[in-house]
Amino acid sequence: MSDLLNTMASSVSGMAAQSARLRLASENIANADTPGYRRKLIPFEQVAGGSVQTGPIHLDSSDLERVHQPGHPMAGEDGYFESSNVNLMIEIADSREAQRSYEANLRMFDQARQMTSSLLELLRR
Amino acid sequence: MKFDIGILQMAQDLAAHASSRQSIISQNIANADTPGYKARDTASFAETFAANAATRPARAGHIVFDTQAGVTESAAFSAESPNGNTVSIEDQMVRAAEVRHQHDLALGIYGKSVDILRAGMGRIR
Repeated sequence: MSDLLNTMASSVSGMAAQSARLRLASENIANADTPGYRRKLIPFEQVAGGSVQTGPIHLDSSDLERVHQPGHPMAGEDGYFESSNVNLMIEIADSREAQRSYEANLRMFDQARQMTSSLLELLRR
Repeated sequence: MKFDIGILQMAQDLAAHASSRQSIISQNIANADTPGYKARDTASFAETFAANAATRPARAGHIVFDTQAGVTESAAFSAESPNGNTVSIEDQMVRAAEVRHQHDLALGIYGKSVDILRAGMGRIR
């Protein structure tokens, strides 16, 4: 029985981590056109009980995209300004992966819940 | 009345094995995106049962069923990810379905055995 409760706890930690990842992906997509924005990344770490937790958020240090647009208020002498380093394809793929993993965790949670209730059903007879 | 209570014990062990394995599988799924995480699984019920049969205490009331002892890294179903993670969600889903089946089987056997005991006492529900 306690194993099944541990199961639910690990699944919940997985869901929390995946939703944090999904939140960052949507923040990155929302700021895809913000000049000087660096995409945020969140690392996943395993904790002792077998659950997962998210580590500190860090910024992607890759080069910002240089966009040629002479009329832009932030454009320099050469007509270029530094946009964000968000790649929409990567963010969408990442959010899709987070969604799938979230669903897998949810499936596990539901299975543990059903196993618990069928176990309790034995007591009710 | 002589009733072989061993079947109840075995059903109980099978249910305990199923829930402990479910816990391991949900940890794998929670860590499906954790860099460097290696997928794990318990030994099969037959192996665990054989190992425990040797050390089982004489009294049936003393239940010592240590399923966590046989936890090993499961063979990689698919190639390792670039970040060192060996969890395949599809593989884990198959294992989870096996666990579900095992648990239902154990509870079914337990319930039916108890029904037979009740019938022996002349109380058919």
